Amino acid sequence: MQRLHRTDIARRQLETAVELFLQGLDRSSVITLAGAASNVLDSLVRRAGKEPFVDYARRVHDHVVGGTPKRRSYAHHIDVKLGVVAHKHFAPTDPDVVELDLEKQAADALARAIADYTALYGQNEPFVKAYLQWAWGHTDGPAQMESFKSVPAKLRKTRR
Amino acid sequence: MSVGQYTRFQLAHSQLDAAIGLYVTNRDRLSAITLAGAADVLLSQLVLRTGKPNFTDRLAEKDVTSEGTVPPREVVGQKVNDTLHINQLKHFDDGAEEVIELDVDECALAAILKALANYVDLPEHDKNLVLAFKLWIRENLDPKKYNVNCDSNWTAPPEA
Repeated sequence: MQRLHRTDIARRQLETAVELFLQGLDRSSVITLAGAASNVLDSLVRRAGKEPFVDYARRVHDHVVGGTPKRRSYAHHIDVKLGVVAHKHFAPTDPDVVELDLEKQAADALARAIADYTALYGQNEPFVKAYLQWAWGHTDGPAQMESFKSVPAKLRKTRR
Repeated sequence: MSVGQYTRFQLAHSQLDAAIGLYVTNRDRLSAITLAGAADVLLSQLVLRTGKPNFTDRLAEKDVTSEGTVPPREVVGQKVNDTLHINQLKHFDDGAEEVIELDVDECALAAILKALANYVDLPEHDKNLVLAFKLWIRENLDPKKYNVNCDSNWTAPPEA
């Protein structure tokens, strides 16, 4: 029998998700593991008195669309968008075939989880650095930083 | 990056395949629990769609009360998931303990075997994946503790 802190659980799932992703292995498993890690990290970030990804996304929604969506329903909406729900829920009335962009959703699911992970533990662990370096190179980091300058000041930072 | 169509069987198969890989290599048995658990949700529903009872139904039939009532599928499924800590690895509700205790090796093996019980009931299953895992079990697990030869007359040793 082992005693595991939720931090260890999230870290192990996220580290394996990053490893599978960077090795070009199964995207479905990346999405599921990053999704599970995110659920755990979301609570840990809130318990630390910081703002998790979901709440930051709700603030962005308020600024861009207007109105702050309810936390639970918006978290579910994000899980649907990232393909997490299609991989772990299957109700009797759900269709057997689903449309997914596994490559993009795996990368985005990792981005969400890494955002919450770094809020708690920084960017120094090798698997975090490896993902951030991949993201910088594959999502045109310099161009993103340039466009970031036009983001309103109140949305530039999460509440930490 | 592009959108593609995927059957739930494909999503389940790839997650189960990854879970088995992470388990037999001892790379990350904790993540194997999460992946096998997610795969099993899809596989359980797919078996029902073939008109057959799934593994949880077959367990429920063995758990008939003295009044002859078969416990509901949801109750039995929840009990199994709790035993294997599947939900604790992907959820962290308000008020829940930050530390959990589990036997990672045992839970991972059981989660994979539960998913495989449903997997083999589907006509499109990969026989080689099943055979490879059965061979690994025969070669690596203690025959005094586990039914490594899948012998129908085998009886479990008394618990210590």
